Amino acid sequence: MAETKKRFRIAVDIGGTFVDAIQFDGVEGSVRLAKAPTTPGQPYEGVLEAIRRLGTPLEETDIFVHGTTLGLNAILERKGAITGILTNEGMRDVFEIGRADVPPLQMYNFAYERPAPVVKRRHRIGVPGRLDAAGDIVTPLDEDAVRAAAAELAGAGVQALAISFLHSYKNPVHEERAAEIVREHFPQLPVSISSEITREYREYERTATTVLDAYIRPIFEAYVGKLKQALLDKGLGGRFLIMRSSGGAMTSEVATRAPIFTVMSGPSGGIVGAAYIARLLGRDHLLSLDYGGTSLDASVIENMDPLVMHEATLEHFPALIPIFDIRCIGTGGGSIAWVQEGLLQVGPQSAGAVPGPIAYGKGGVEPTTTDAALVLGYLDAEAFLGGALSLDAAAARRGMEERIARVLGTDVLTASAGVFDVLIARTVGAIREITVERGKDPRDFSLLAFGGAGPMIAPLLAREIDVVDLIVPNVPAAFSAWGMVMSDLVSEFSQTDIRRLSDAERPAIEAGFSVLEEKGRAALDQQGVRPDEQVLEHFLECRYFGQEHALEVPIAMDMETADIVERFNTLHAERYGHAIADPVQVVTLRLRAIGQLAKPSLRKLPPATDPADTALVKVRDAYCFARRQMVPFGIYARERLAPGHVIQGPAIIDEGTSTTVIHSDQRMTVDEYGHLIIRRHAA
Amino acid sequence: MTLDGATTEVIRSYLLSAAEEMRRTLIRTAFNPVIYEVLDFGISLYNRDLELIADAPGLALFLGANDYAIRKGVEYVGEENLFPGDIVLMNYPYWNSAHAMDVTLFAPVFAPDEARPFAYTCLRAHWMDLGAKDPGYVLDSTDMHQEGLIFPGTKIYKKGKLDREIVELIRFNSRMPDLVIGDLEAQVASTRTGERRLQEIYAKFGAERFEEATQRILKHGEMTTRRALESLPHGTYSAEDLVDDDGISDTPVPIKVTVTIDGEGMTCDFSASSPAVRGPINVPFGLTETICKFVLKSLTTPHSPSNAGNFRPLKVIAPPGNLFHAIYPSATFTLWTSHLALELVYKALAQAMPDRLVASSGGDVPGFMMVGTNPETGQLYAVSNNDPVGWGGGAAHDGANATNHLSGSLVRNTPIEVMEMKTGMFIEALELRADSGGAGMHRGGVALTRRIRFRSPGEFLSVTKKTKTRPWGLAGGCEAEPNAMLLFPGTPKEKRVGTYRAAVEAGDVAVCLTGGGAGYGRPFERAPVEVLEDVLEGYVSLDAARDVYGVIISDGRVDERATEELREGRR
Repeated sequence: MAETKKRFRIAVDIGGTFVDAIQFDGVEGSVRLAKAPTTPGQPYEGVLEAIRRLGTPLEETDIFVHGTTLGLNAILERKGAITGILTNEGMRDVFEIGRADVPPLQMYNFAYERPAPVVKRRHRIGVPGRLDAAGDIVTPLDEDAVRAAAAELAGAGVQALAISFLHSYKNPVHEERAAEIVREHFPQLPVSISSEITREYREYERTATTVLDAYIRPIFEAYVGKLKQALLDKGLGGRFLIMRSSGGAMTSEVATRAPIFTVMSGPSGGIVGAAYIARLLGRDHLLSLDYGGTSLDASVIENMDPLVMHEATLEHFPALIPIFDIRCIGTGGGSIAWVQEGLLQVGPQSAGAVPGPIAYGKGGVEPTTTDAALVLGYLDAEAFLGGALSLDAAAARRGMEERIARVLGTDVLTASAGVFDVLIARTVGAIREITVERGKDPRDFSLLAFGGAGPMIAPLLAREIDVVDLIVPNVPAAFSAWGMVMSDLVSEFSQTDIRRLSDAERPAIEAGFSVLEEKGRAALDQQGVRPDEQVLEHFLECRYFGQEHALEVPIAMDMETADIVERFNTLHAERYGHAIADPVQVVTLRLRAIGQLAKPSLRKLPPATDPADTALVKVRDAYCFARRQMVPFGIYARERLAPGHVIQGPAIIDEGTSTTVIHSDQRMTVDEYGHLIIRRHAA
Repeated sequence: MTLDGATTEVIRSYLLSAAEEMRRTLIRTAFNPVIYEVLDFGISLYNRDLELIADAPGLALFLGANDYAIRKGVEYVGEENLFPGDIVLMNYPYWNSAHAMDVTLFAPVFAPDEARPFAYTCLRAHWMDLGAKDPGYVLDSTDMHQEGLIFPGTKIYKKGKLDREIVELIRFNSRMPDLVIGDLEAQVASTRTGERRLQEIYAKFGAERFEEATQRILKHGEMTTRRALESLPHGTYSAEDLVDDDGISDTPVPIKVTVTIDGEGMTCDFSASSPAVRGPINVPFGLTETICKFVLKSLTTPHSPSNAGNFRPLKVIAPPGNLFHAIYPSATFTLWTSHLALELVYKALAQAMPDRLVASSGGDVPGFMMVGTNPETGQLYAVSNNDPVGWGGGAAHDGANATNHLSGSLVRNTPIEVMEMKTGMFIEALELRADSGGAGMHRGGVALTRRIRFRSPGEFLSVTKKTKTRPWGLAGGCEAEPNAMLLFPGTPKEKRVGTYRAAVEAGDVAVCLTGGGAGYGRPFERAPVEVLEDVLEGYVSLDAARDVYGVIISDGRVDERATEELREGRR
């Protein structure tokens, strides 16, 4: 970061249908968006195309931040490398048995089928060598057995190896030695080591994390390598960063060392952006709502900090990686509406992108929420996604008529409004559940809506929940990419270290932290972060003795132990409704090492000089949920709105890639940054 | 009917969400991990006629368990004696459909200006201790009074006011009063959440629409179930099995069910089962109903939430005094009988629907526990674990390997690293057991071997009630290896046990062998290439491939000619 600062910053997010590229101009403080179709066969081509459309001079680009779900897709589609496991003798089935549980939705399924193991049993080998729970050696590592096992696996065509031994979180000695032997004899075989990825306990979770890392590594390395070369060829002089699943980015070199940390890098950009807006606008309680084509995701951001979890579920696998607490609370715009025994249902089946809604004309025959939105007048059939796609409104109406209205014995408009009623009721319920789960009342929250369809349904949710207000950011359709621009460099380290939280144990806790600090600083140094830009944040994950659920307590190293206990008690009471007098136990030490990058700051826009009416493009009939009928909606072009503009619903704000629908009991104000702020207000 | 299908669905969503909010509140505020980790609870909402209108999933075998309890509870207290703000506590096993450690709270919900409740909330949760004869689990009680303090239906809140005397009664009767009272408060918080949400829904939509919507929701539940029932074959089918013992004597206890499917629905009759026994394996009638509800639900509407409409086509028969209709003062503490009974009902139905159902799983939940003192801290510990079993093969696929029993399939096992940290157990091996799954065209899932060496002394408990009989196959499939716990193998003390409490010393060994899933279809029908894959993966041994499946494998390949000859010769 010593070099002179270049003008631009670019972020690229690969979604299911589109690649979003955002350019931030450091001189003007402005943001620009370009989109290109996703190219699943060669994902980097879509990225390059999006950058080409953006037209940013790469030699003047300071930072390129990338979010990709490539690793996640490899897991979902089972397209990873042939992976082997090296573990303790007698333990090769730990990975297959797992925690032996069944997913909640399968609880009544007497014929439940487990997915085939990602690693075949014959590619899992146990070798003598065993530690106990204290990390002491019970049986020494049999090095000949390690060599023999590696030879057997390499001979069997294994392309990536995961090494995971019991209690290695406590003492990695056997894992490290085994890896050394494998690398010495089979330098071409990529190796993932459990204790390098996570120093947390629970052998199945740690093994699964390591296996997934190994499984996606060859694909990820190849992709990043190609993309990086292409960008260098085009003159990129700045840093190439990859987004992490819990916010923050890392250099591509660090990312390829443990690709598992990137699996949810796309969505995490949206949360970084949401936290940025929460701070900018001073919202203590913010609920982000990301509504795209395939899913509806929500996240709670309290006190301007998103909640990071330390265990993710990827398909059915656990992964001990830090990840934002993002909840999928529904299917996306492709959710299918249907009637079951007289009751209108929405989802869980989705038409997805292919065949998609009826209106797409790609063979979809079942009406979806997108088709209902078209009937209700929210979407412009001629100019959907900025004209990228034209919609067949007549077909959508016909499908809604035949499959829903007729079966329910009602008209097509009532049926389409019913689809939204059901969708909204379901979503409101889910939002209440994730706030109640934290002991919070959803009415105390502001809602931040993004994703292509977020601003269309969020005003209905805002009415129903009665939130403080609803914020629609700039470029909501590419908000995740925008959030990536706001990222710091981050590396996280942890160590399970179960002991009492007491003054007597304090030296041991501090010794543990100093190991983590060393790792944290080394990681930042490697990524070129100057010492004065390095910030280390410490957390203690604690619980009461005898309890299972642990809470992460942010601490400063100079805090008194009694104050840490007090802070834990307060957090516990807030989160779980009670605090008890029992002794507190430390479970895990966590360190977040941050390399602070100069943040682009959002510019305040000049206030409006013309009345809002100058942004009025036309008037179109659409369904108002406050009046429950079709009424004329003023259609406004978002790019013509400016700070200070106030528009009373019914109104639609159109910006090509996204549509904000304001009903007659709502009023929208444009704030000084150009955000749309919507509140309840009767006309 | 004037209410449209969209508004009804909106109300249904809100009701389900209210139950879900109760669930999250309970999980959030409970003190004991059995509630928030093992999900040992059940939450239900009822209309004024005590018909289930929404529920939130917890333990599978609590499905609809509240239905029987709340009827008995309201009958006992009397609807006319219920007032706004009341919360009633009950755990009388014969009404509450569970052992005395499962405690139910129910509350009437009133609209501001109405004299009758328009709905009820009800939730049960597992309490850590309510003064039974032994701490933890009771394996050998012979009447109810050894099983804990009993509440028949007692108001803990009267018109919104807490009765402290009852709380004190609980405090003085529990070995873990803080945990128990903490959990009671969590249940109250959850009850109040449900109450508030129900009142909001009632106010938002009005009495008439609420009433109409709940009737339509029940009708919808009934119709989806009946529609699915139409595809099940009519007829009467019986099955029997043996519970290892009653906990007092060593004699196996016969259980038998006759299931009838006809135009009316499904009837399960347990009359031919053993009469009540002396030990604690007797089943309260509400739990017997729940077992049957689970089966019906799984066959008809497994993916939708439950309501009373789903169960209108179900009839359950077990005369009072039968093993499946416990009456005072029968002991009911050890509920393992219900795991066996669940598979018993499937066994009966499997004769009618071999293509739809699957062969038996390992048949029970093989559990173990170690109680001891940490040699370093001197603290007492008790750590338990349920091990998985193989699941049965079916017409479409092999049974799942090593997966928790259907009766508690969401519960997770205890990690080795946790077990070794907290107890004197050292796990020498945790491996899938070759040939433990029953052979068949579709193989039963293989189960596991867990070899435990004790590093310090303590008590070791093994709990399973199905070790003496083998899991049954389907459509010509083979039986599987049964559950077993082998104590002190290779020593003069060696012993094969089911449910047992043993003192162990450092150096002793216990080997837990869990039951495999049984097979579906004749083993000779299994494609040789699949048998080869099983052998390469070590799920099936080379010998079994040859002797049971008739497949000859040499040099990692199927010898097709030899296989054909062998299969031909033995057909």
